[in-house]
Amino acid sequence: MKNPFAEEPKPTSAWLWQVITGVGLVILLGLHFIANHFVAKGGLRDFKEVVAYLRNPVILFLEVLFLLCVTTHALLGVRAILLDFGLSEPAERRMDQILKTVGFLTVGYGLAVTWVVIR
Amino acid sequence: MSTLDYRKVSRASRWLDVRRRKLGMWAYALNRITGIGLVVYLYLHLVVLSLLLRGQAAWDFFVTVARSPYVLALDVILLAGILIHGLNGLRIAMTGFGIGVGAQKALFVAVMVVSAVTLWVATIKIFRI
Repeated sequence: MKNPFAEEPKPTSAWLWQVITGVGLVILLGLHFIANHFVAKGGLRDFKEVVAYLRNPVILFLEVLFLLCVTTHALLGVRAILLDFGLSEPAERRMDQILKTVGFLTVGYGLAVTWVVIR
Repeated sequence: MSTLDYRKVSRASRWLDVRRRKLGMWAYALNRITGIGLVVYLYLHLVVLSLLLRGQAAWDFFVTVARSPYVLALDVILLAGILIHGLNGLRIAMTGFGIGVGAQKALFVAVMVVSAVTLWVATIKIFRI
């Protein structure tokens, strides 16, 4: 009988995106931590400081990129874990649709909060 | 029609099987466990950021609470998860591209040592802020 565990896993585009966003996160999360928790006085910015911080276009770009990377990486990670539980192909397609929807909602919500804060 | 492939389920159940587990399997399980924790934290963080929508008083009250030693202790746990997941993830990515495959175990030990040292330094910094 063929042993399914003996097969070499093939790299997929999902895996590649997880690596790309993961490497991006190491850099962006490092910057996020330094800017928001180690440079900021008292380890956290108060309301006025958060607004001023996010109104800086460079910071805004980096924080939006961070939101995109972290959401993509997180949901691809959830997908990888769920795939380990042996879904059929139709269930896998449904899962992909659900995760895409969750991803769009997450990014949309993050952008909406940011917009309300900086406008 | 069944939605489960039982051959794959047995692969998932191996997460919980600690018998004859090798270092690589521990590293794999650790990455997934920290990953699940960080996904939960991501959504908690978004909920906390919603306080910005309630204005200055709500956010500044949260900042006061977040500076308490209990919350700072939770930050240390969070940072441990980030360090282990991030550095171990880089190791997995490297080996996925065929880099350092022969030194996987040594790399994992190095990841854990670097994580521990960084966490120690960061913990001191967090409690001194």
